[in-house]
Parts: sequence; C-alpha cells; structure tokens
Amino acid sequence: MEYVMHILVMVCMYAVLAISFNLLIGFAGLFALSQAVFFAIGAYATGLAAVAGLPFPMPEILAVLIGGIVGVLIALPALRTRGDYLVIVTLALQIVVLQVILNWKSLTGGTEGVRGIPGLSFFGVALSDPSHFLIYAAIVTALVFVFAWKVGHSPFGRAMKAMRENESAAQAVGKNLLYLKVSTFAVSAALAALAGSMFARYYNYVSVDSFSINETIYILAMVIVGGIGNLWGSVIGAAVLVALPELLKFLDMPTDIADQMRLVIYGVILILVLRFRPQGILPEPRGALHDGEETASAGGNASSLVVGDGSSKGEIVVDAKGLVKRFGGITAVSGFDIEMRAGQITGLIGPNGAGKTTAFNMLTGFLQPNEGSITLRGNSLLGLKPHRIVGAGVARSFQDLRLFRNMTVLDNVLVSLPDQAGDDLGQVFLRPAKVSRQEHENLARAMEVLRFVELDGKANETVNALSYAEEKLLVIARLLATGAEVMLFDEPLSGLDPTTLAEILPVIRKLADNGKVVCIIEHNLDVIKELSDVVYFLDEGRAMAVGTPEQVMTDPELAARYFK
Amino acid sequence: MLTILKKTALAGLALATGLASGSAALAQDPESYKIGAILAMSGAANEYGRVMSQGINLAIEEINAKGGIDGIPLEAVIEDHKSGVAKEGVAALNRLINLENTQVVLTSFSGPTLAIAPIADEKKVLLLNGGGVSAALVGASKYLFHNRSLASDLGLAALRHAHGLGLKKMSQLVWKNDAGESIEEVANKYWGAMGGTIAATEYVEIGASNIDTQIAKIRASNPDFVALWLFSPEPGLALKRLREFRFTKPIIGIEFTPDTQKAAGDASDGFQYTSDYFTATEEYPWSKAFSDAYEAKYGEKPDFYAANYYENVYVAAEAIRRAKAQGGAYYRGDKLADAIKADPQFDSVYGGKMTYQENGVAKKKVALFSVKDGQAKFFRYVSAD
Amino acid sequence: MDLLLQLMMNGLVNGSHYALLGIGFGLIFATTKLVHFAYGPIYAATAYVCWYSFMQLGLPFWAAFGLCVIAAIVLGLLSYLIVYRPLQSRSDSGLVTLIASLGLYTVIENLLGVIFGTGVKSVQGIDSDVFFLGPVFVTSFQLMQIAALILVGGALALFLRFTRYGQAIMAMTDNAEMAQIVGIDTRFVALLVFAIGSAIAAVPAVLILLKDSAGTHMGFSAVFLAFLSVVVGGIGSLRGAVAGGFLIGFVESAGLWQISTDWQSSIAFIILFLMLMLRPDGLFGVKR
Repeated sequence: MEYVMHILVMVCMYAVLAISFNLLIGFAGLFALSQAVFFAIGAYATGLAAVAGLPFPMPEILAVLIGGIVGVLIALPALRTRGDYLVIVTLALQIVVLQVILNWKSLTGGTEGVRGIPGLSFFGVALSDPSHFLIYAAIVTALVFVFAWKVGHSPFGRAMKAMRENESAAQAVGKNLLYLKVSTFAVSAALAALAGSMFARYYNYVSVDSFSINETIYILAMVIVGGIGNLWGSVIGAAVLVALPELLKFLDMPTDIADQMRLVIYGVILILVLRFRPQGILPEPRGALHDGEETASAGGNASSLVVGDGSSKGEIVVDAKGLVKRFGGITAVSGFDIEMRAGQITGLIGPNGAGKTTAFNMLTGFLQPNEGSITLRGNSLLGLKPHRIVGAGVARSFQDLRLFRNMTVLDNVLVSLPDQAGDDLGQVFLRPAKVSRQEHENLARAMEVLRFVELDGKANETVNALSYAEEKLLVIARLLATGAEVMLFDEPLSGLDPTTLAEILPVIRKLADNGKVVCIIEHNLDVIKELSDVVYFLDEGRAMAVGTPEQVMTDPELAARYFK
Repeated sequence: MLTILKKTALAGLALATGLASGSAALAQDPESYKIGAILAMSGAANEYGRVMSQGINLAIEEINAKGGIDGIPLEAVIEDHKSGVAKEGVAALNRLINLENTQVVLTSFSGPTLAIAPIADEKKVLLLNGGGVSAALVGASKYLFHNRSLASDLGLAALRHAHGLGLKKMSQLVWKNDAGESIEEVANKYWGAMGGTIAATEYVEIGASNIDTQIAKIRASNPDFVALWLFSPEPGLALKRLREFRFTKPIIGIEFTPDTQKAAGDASDGFQYTSDYFTATEEYPWSKAFSDAYEAKYGEKPDFYAANYYENVYVAAEAIRRAKAQGGAYYRGDKLADAIKADPQFDSVYGGKMTYQENGVAKKKVALFSVKDGQAKFFRYVSAD
Repeated sequence: MDLLLQLMMNGLVNGSHYALLGIGFGLIFATTKLVHFAYGPIYAATAYVCWYSFMQLGLPFWAAFGLCVIAAIVLGLLSYLIVYRPLQSRSDSGLVTLIASLGLYTVIENLLGVIFGTGVKSVQGIDSDVFFLGPVFVTSFQLMQIAALILVGGALALFLRFTRYGQAIMAMTDNAEMAQIVGIDTRFVALLVFAIGSAIAAVPAVLILLKDSAGTHMGFSAVFLAFLSVVVGGIGSLRGAVAGGFLIGFVESAGLWQISTDWQSSIAFIILFLMLMLRPDGLFGVKR
C-alpha cells in the first residue's frame, strides 16, 4: 500500500533529521535552531549535482560534505552566544540562508526551484515509487542511527554531554570546547544534509517552501516529544509526529475549516504530551554502568592517577610572578606572586573579594592576566586554553562544584580521565579497537578513583541522587581523574560537617605525600593549619604574607586586622 | 478530547483495513467518482483554498442533484498543501491515489503542482489546474491541463494596455515568488521593446506586513505608472499605500479579488487590471446561474478562482462522461486526459466555449477592468499576443 | 536625498512599532524567562476582536478597543495558567516551554481562522490624514504609532519605577529566586506581567488594523521582530527593547536605500548577527 509506504519514507527521513538534531541539542546542548538549513542545503546540493549529471553516490557525498562545511560556519555564532541568544541568532540565520537560496537564481533556480532531479535506481530497478524507495530510506536511516549511536555513546559523546551540563567544568577536565562544538555541528549538519539528499531523490523537486522555520520547529518537536538525549526517542518522535497529522486527516470536518482544525488539535496534543511527559516518551539513558567485572582485569592501573610525576619533594613546579588582572576599572589582582612545590600543600586564604578565585582562574587559563608570567616547570602557560593547561598538568575544581548533574557518578569521573583516544571523533571510527580497549581500562581506572574517595558504591547513581558531602567527594574524584600533577582546589571543604571533614582531609594529604602539587583555597583556618605547608594570605589582590600557617596567623599586623 | 482520540483510533483502523481493499482491481464503474483537490487549506494563503473549495463543492452538489454521471455521484476529497509546500502536495496526492482511488485531481499553486507532476505522470492521474500561473507549469505533466491564463499572458496584456495609454516610464512591484517573477521576466523582456523604460523594480514578500520601504522607493523613482505584479491581497495594500501618499498616476495590475478590495478600501478607485474575466451577465445564462447559486450558498460573489475550480469540476465530469462513452476500463487518468485531447472544446462558465491548446492551456479571454467604488467594471477584451 | 529622508521617517515609524512589540514581549520574557511565541497570535487575535466588535457588532471604536485589550489580557493569563505554569512546575528545561509556546502558537493562529474566517479584515470609516514635512510625508496613523510608543513606554517606565508592583517586577527580572526569598509573590508577578505584556500587544495590533489590515498570520513577523528587538537591545532592559526596535526599524528601511528590496527580510537579521557577534549581551544587556 503506497500511501503507508510513503508515510514510512517520511518517518525515515524525519528520523534522520531528528537524530541529527538530537546530537546537537540533546547530547551537546547546543540549542541552534537552524536544522532546516542543513536539510535544505543537502536537498539543493543533491538536486543540482544530480541534474548536472553526476552519478550516484556523488551527489550524496557532495551534499554531506557541503552540509558539514556549512555546519562548521554556523558553529561560529554558537561559539560566541548561548541560550536564548543562540536560539534567535540561528532562527534569523535560517531566514537569511533561505533568502540567499531564493535570490541566487543562477544557481538555485530562485522561486522556481530545481526540477527534474533524477531518481535513484539500483541494478536496473528504479526507486520511483514509495515502496521501493523505502528500502533505500530504511538502509540510510539504519546507517545513520548506528553512526549516531557510535558518536553518542563514545567518549566523544560523553564529552558532548559534559559540555551540555557545564561548559567551564568540561574545559576544566580537559575537554576542547572548540573542537567539540565545531565537530558536533559538522556531524549534525552532515546527517541533516543526508536527509536532504533523500528529499531530493524522493520528490525529484526542491524548492525553498519545504525548508521553512516551521520545518525546524517540526523536527525540534520530534526530538522533544521523543525524548532529549535518547536516539530511539528521536525515531519514535519522528514516527509519532509524522503519523499524527495523517491520522487527523481521518477526522471528518467541514471543508473550509478542516485543515485549520487539524492543526489546532495537533497543537493541543503537542502541549498535552509535554504536560504529561516533559522528559519525552523515552528518557535519556543513564550512560556507562559499572557491572563489577573489570576489577580483576586491570586493578592496579588507576593508582598512577594519584601519584605525582616523581619530582623530588620541594621542587618548584608552578611559578607565577607579578600577576595582574583588571576588570574595567577594578583591579582584582595586582602583582601576585606564588610558587607551588611538589609534595606540598599550598593554602590560599584571605577575605572575600581578595582575588583568590581570580588567581585560580588565571593559573588555569580561564582568565588571561593583564600582566605577569606563569610557568610550569619553566614552560610558560600564558595564552593557553584551559583544556591545554589541564593537559599540561594543572587542573582545578570550582567553588560551586559544577558537577555534570544529569550524568552518573561514574561518567563524571570517566569523562575526566586524560588522553582518551575516543575524545577524537576520527579515532572513534578509524581505531575502534583502540578506543574500546582504552574504554575498558578507563572504566577500571575510574572505579579505582571512586574507591579512593569511597564513592564506588554510588557509581551508577546520577549526581542528583548524591548528598552534599558526596558531591564534594565527587569534585575531588573528578579532579583526581584528570591525572593532573598540580591540583587547585577551590573551597573543597566548605559546608562539610566535622566527621566528613575528618574523612576527606587525609585524602588530600595523601595526594601531596604521593608527590602531587596541591593548592587549596579555604576559609576554615583549622583546616589550613592542619593541611598546609605554606600559606599565602591574600588581600586587595596581592599576597600580604607568606609563610607556614603558624607564621602567617601569628603575624601581629594580620592578627590585628583579620584573625581577631 | 476522548471522542477525538476514539475517532483517531477508528481512523487508524480504517487505514489498516484500507490496506487490504485498496489495491483491488478497478471495477468498471466506481461507487462514486472522487474528485481530489490539493489546495491551500491552511497557512498564509488559505483564503485561496477557501474560495476554490467552495467552487468545487457547489459544482459537485449541482452535478449530483442532476443524478451525477449516469447515476454515479461525484465526491470531493479536499487536501491541503499548506499554502504552497511542495512535499505536502506530494503527501496529499499519495493519499488521494492510494486511499481514495482518485483519478482526477484539481491542483493549485506552482510549487506543489510541479512536485506532483512526475507522480501524476507515472500513476496516470489527470491534473486540472485553475490557480497556479507560473510558466514552468506548462508541460510539467502530460496529464496536466489549465483553465487559467498564465501570469506571463496577463502581464503582457497589462503592458499592452499601458503602451496603448502612451505611458513610458514604469516602476514595478513584484511578488516574491514564481508567479510574480515570471511576470517580471516578461516585463523586463518586452517593455523595452515597446519603447518603455523601467525606473524601479521592488519586491514584496507573500504576506508582507510592511511595504513602506518599497512604496517610498517606487514613489521616488517618479514613474508614469506603477505595475503591480502582485496577487491577493497584496495589491490592496500597495494601492492603499500608494494612494495614501498621493501617488496620482495610473496603477495597473493583473488581479483584483474581494480581499484586495477589503485591504485597499477607497484607494482601489481607478485601479486598472487585466485578468481572467469572470462576471455574471444576462448574456451567458450559465455564468449567471453559477453566480446566483454561489451567492445564495456562501453569501458572497464568486471571484474567478471560485469560477475556475467550479468549471474544472464540470470539465472533469464531462471528461468522465466522454471516456465512459468509449467503454472499457475508462476510469483512469490517462483515458480521461485522452478524452480531453480528442475533443478539446468544453463549455465555459465564463460564457461560450473554451479550447485546450496543444500545451494544455485553455486560453481564457483576458479582459481589462477598471475599479470604481469598489466594483470591477469590465472595459473590453484585450489580446496578449 | 529626499528618498533617504523618507526612509528614515519610515524607519522611525516602523521602529516605534517594533519597539512597542518588544516592550510587551520583553517584559514577559525578562520576568518569567518564557519565550512566549504565542505572543504573536495573541497580538493578531486582539486585532480580530477589535475588528469584530467595531465592524460586525457596531460598537463605538473606544469600546471595541477596550474589548480587545481585555481579550488580550484574558488570552495572556490563560496561556500562562493553562500552559506555561504547569509545565514550569514539572520541568526545569526551557526547551519544554519553548515547544509548548510553539504548540500554543499553532492552536491560537488556526483557531482565529476557524472562528473569524481566513480573509483580510479591514476597518472602514476611520481614515487617515497625510502630513507633509518638506519632502517627507507621514500619515496620522503613523504618527499615532510613534505617539503610542511614547505613551505606553512612558507609562510602563513610570509604573516599573514608582509602584510597588513595578518594583516587584524589576526584582524578579533581576533574580527570580532572590525575589522569592525576600517575600515577593512571584506567581502573582508572573500573572501581572502576562496581563500587562499582553495588553500592550493590543495597541500596535489595533494600529496596524487601522493602518493596513489584519490577517491570521500577522503574528509571525510581529513576535519575531519583538524577540529580535529584545535580543538586540539586551534582555531585561526596557530601554534596550526600544533601542533595539528603532535600530531594526532604521536598518530595515534606510538599509534598503541602495540595496534591492529582494533582501528585505534578511537585512535586519544580518544586523542582529553582527550585533551579537560584537556585543553578545545586546546594546543595554546585563553581562551574565
């Protein structure tokens, strides 16, 4: 029955679109509403190339390539803006691109569109009717699904989700946001362009009317209704939203209002679905699960993460001199010097607004100092992006935790492990064996880290299920997992009760004893006394005093001013 | 809500059972002749869909009241292309062919018509267009026939009229779609040859909310006349704005509908346009009867879109009748198209007969009108050749 | 040169229109963080109610205007109470309410066609005068569009600055959580902004009805340009919405001085694009 076949072809085409869009908004959290642009570009590229006489699959390949390139271009605004701004910019961009297509008559045929696009035929069988085309559409859709599944469930996919949960935290565990964003856009756009090439081959006619903003919204609704971050959900969302208007056609109504009434009902059903199932038909899967198998195979491997680089104790590892940071007219840090030594815990104390966190931001590349130098074993860190600095061996935590809240405890740690080949999309597909072997080892390392902070029992919980103290422990675990030699803790202990504190303090101490370089911002002076080897007292953006905890806290002048 | 869900479920069931029965071989006589139509029933131009569907429904009622075609009734199945979305047109055609076993489809708008043409060719479905005006439509399918003048013909007639008035310097407002642009192309090609110049060309989007910029630029170009290559209701907005800003020279266009009048108000006075001529006069009893019946049923006068689609239903019925007289498995789109080609003369609701040419276009008489007090006044027939 | 002056005048008029839309939409957006796309069809609905009361029911114009303001408020409140609030309480994702607002958009827009029919609606019997300022001409309706912005914008600014409720709205715009902590009834404030924001939509809607005519799809460009004005101007700033509206109005008109009107709908967006690349928080936006 060709009518049903036609609907199934539509389901396939929209499933590809919804999957491509889900990677962008569901996995990576990049809320760019311009998917119909990629769809259109794929359709036009295929149509024009096929009309020009290129044989299958050249037009398809061309469409995917051009789609990917345009995706990279549209990624540029996403690097600058987020949230509602990105929504409006990309909606607007869509109007601009469609107008360019419309006005570029010599290439696109303008308002008349591209006609007479040759259909597909294999082994002498023309795929001109829906039932034959469906076979092709289903194969393409299955391939796209498998591809997207690979992407979404690789280390790269995990990094996408981490970026979605919190961009700065993703950077702080060494993820390259530029690479993540640009490649996500490229992949998503290329897949949508592939759907566009199906469109061109199926309809044999392409015009801009079919790729309006409504189309983007339609695909968006499929992703949301199906379930954000769930690829099966996108397939189901596409099926539901393609079938719904068709089913509504069977409602008998007076001719002049029928189709408008159907749209009214469509809108109402959409709202009701959202009302009663806001997470979508299928919720997001939890991610990697610990099944307890790996322990035996790769037991000791993880301990390397909690051991330093073997530098001799007391050697200067990080050396920052004359750091200055101005925000407009305000100078937050003015001439701050700090040295951090292997095997030592350096404490940073001082009143609120003294510039402690700003100093951390400069040391880890989140802010660039206006003046001064930062070196790691003599190599300058200035001008490096945060993820490069993590890679070089300096990592930090955040005062406000910035955990990846909708990911599991295990995934929080897994995503933070260094040197993952699977972070590179090319490796995911070109060296799958290496990626999968590494993944196996990393699971063991991650569990080791979790055991170190005694969170292994919660590995499969999402962060939302943790207590506050456990969240703090996870922050430490995540920092440990980066394998960084230098660890900057921003108030890791605030708000913890004494019992928990007593559990965590030895953990941090042990890090230093293992040869790590530890620096810690803390308000609790008892903790500072117990932990630190050296204390820097900051105020008004510079070090007012440096010394052992006793020296600093007994300094008569400081004592008079601060330690009453 | 519950009843709707129930109905939807039933519809799903109907769909499933339809699977079983749909592909059964065609009987010689169907239970009813289903006349499909793919119109703008929703979206930015849904006014067209409303008017066209009214024309269709009236014609089918009339034919059925007279016993249908040898006792077999006609039935309208109206589908929506959402104001020109090509893929909606294809989906609609698939439904019509597969679920309704439709052999005749009345189509509208260029985009959807171009998209369904290849399918119609393959599935042998007769297409009758009474609205789309793009030149690209000619010959898009071997089973496609038009009872509507092409935009380029209307434009050419308008230009001839302007030339006859001795006007030289033209500024044109162009609808930003294939209909508008195909006239612009004709104008750019022929107006110079007629000795005229083009002072300004400005574009208006379909459903434009604000054309003040275009009006200012047109006015600043200081033309002898303004040509409106626009379709309903945009000419109304353009007229209103131009007249509001004291543009007193002639304005010439190619379409005028009740909606245009509503948007223009008094500013329509003196607007001259060339268009398919539908007006009910005593001279032609059928056009009078149609106009009266339409007004009685819908409370408004028919415009030529209503007339074209009304007429197309009669064309379809006549084609079925003729094919049936040939006998055999006559109820197929290609047989119906053959019947039209064999004897391309049909009664026209516009009066007299119309004749389909080789290219499938039945040339209507193009007439020149002038608007006075909100009413279109027929002047004379003009030639586009 | 005359043409440029005329285009500047058009820009001023259109800018006032966009600014007014931006104020209403932006008030709702900044306070509740809801991207209320259904603002568009509600704007269209008010024009329809005004048309129906005046042309069909034969009410005096002021009564028709009053009715359409009430209709706007009712629709705005219903949108919030029936659609947005239940969703906000069930999900913290802005995506869900965004899609819901698009669903609501479809519902209202098509219901308008079902209830009032699809044709063009225009008002007869109220005519405009044309004034010539040197080479530049302007109609009384266009002047009213400028005046409406001054009146409504001014009144709203005073309300926000000097009344208790205005202060509450500002506090919630700044930080909804904080506002709740200091004892502001944020649910009531949300209702209030939906009422005020929707009522504001009635003013530009009726002016467009008088000046041009009304159609069921007039809401799309309205809400789009409102959104645009707010983003260009900076979210959470009344001044910003006005500045954004004028910037778009001017660029859209004067920008086409030498460029073909082929590009009319793109030109404002290209500005937006450049703008956000250079100043990601808009003209008057609060850095966040």
